[in-house]
Amino acid sequence: MFGHKGKGNYAYVVARVRAKKASLMGDEVYQKMLMMSLPEISRFISESGYQKEMAELAGRIGGIDLVEHATYMNMARVFSDILRSTTGELRDMVSAYLTKWDLWNLKVILRGKAYGADKESIKEDLVPAGRLNEVMLDKLLSLETDKEVIEEFGRMEHMKVPPEVVNAFTAEGRLGSVEDYFDRLFYTRLLSQLDPSSGPKRLFQDFIRREIDTINLETILILKMEGIFGDDVMKYIIPGGKQIDKKLATQLANAETISAAANDLSQLDFYEDIKETLTENGSLKNFVAAMKKYHIGLTKKFSSLYPLSVIPVLDFMIRKNIEVDNIRIIARGIESGIDRETIKELLVI
Amino acid sequence: MEPSGMLAIGAGLAVGLAGIGTGIGQKDAAAAAIGAITEDKGMLGKSLMFVALPETIVIFGLVIAFLILFVM
Repeated sequence: MFGHKGKGNYAYVVARVRAKKASLMGDEVYQKMLMMSLPEISRFISESGYQKEMAELAGRIGGIDLVEHATYMNMARVFSDILRSTTGELRDMVSAYLTKWDLWNLKVILRGKAYGADKESIKEDLVPAGRLNEVMLDKLLSLETDKEVIEEFGRMEHMKVPPEVVNAFTAEGRLGSVEDYFDRLFYTRLLSQLDPSSGPKRLFQDFIRREIDTINLETILILKMEGIFGDDVMKYIIPGGKQIDKKLATQLANAETISAAANDLSQLDFYEDIKETLTENGSLKNFVAAMKKYHIGLTKKFSSLYPLSVIPVLDFMIRKNIEVDNIRIIARGIESGIDRETIKELLVI
Repeated sequence: MEPSGMLAIGAGLAVGLAGIGTGIGQKDAAAAAIGAITEDKGMLGKSLMFVALPETIVIFGLVIAFLILFVM
């Protein structure tokens, strides 16, 4: 995963992502889009950065499918374009981070197959921004059984998938076990392969460990709200978090109430940002949004502190992903006739 | 060594070292400028200005070289 020589072309890539970031949609654009109908949204995004993909797909699909497929296709192209423009260890780090999308694609393929979706509709939700290109994803899509998909994916990614994971999935039919396994594997493999001897890699490691904290805390609180505690929670915890170590994670997993968990979190950096949402009858949606905002804010802060590092690139990628998610939420919400205030609450602004 | 020889070496170092420093500074500025122009052609004018900015250091080196050679 980490084999390129040289430091990398930070100045060139960071200048490019900063220019790209400047053209991302702002809050006022989302407010405007909330007032539009679906055809108006399609037309609007055709004129604001998604024109190539919209034009390419407009002949084949339409409506909400067009918006969803075009936004994902655009995101995949932008991310691949960034990866192509990087060199040296910067390329290694960006490429390692983009492996996330390979896991996303695997989940989409498995879920699609489980629900009996056809090949073309599964393809619409794929984001070929990771290591696996469209040809490889097509190969995965064309495989008959889920077991074959998982095993082939493991071979493509050089990941060993333990037979018990595959057997648990094929016997119980639960996608969750495979998804959790790959999520954990992604972060543990990334951390184990990262040699923190150089400053940029240390910074990247720090970023990844903070991201793990965010994911773990979300997992703990989501399960707590569902009434799941202790070891049943700990099996989903990704090791390697920066602030939430195993001891604190166990403490949080065992806490009987949200208030008790909030008390344990009070010494951590992000407590101030999320404390409003940590109430017994608080909404999970608000908590997840607060954690997302904290993560975005932190990435923004670090990208200003370390302008010539991988962080501005990751900052842009996170924001681009949020933009695409927001467009899809608005389009899907309006298509389904959901109240505009409810859609607004779902947006990450 | 003759004093004039020492002065010539000093003048050479003033221009040479300033040039190396400018090169180091310009390396990142030019790479960033190309990156910015790739994304937005309208950035060309501003980018050129920032790329040229480190070159002023060479002028300081040149002035020092002239002072060494012709004033001292």
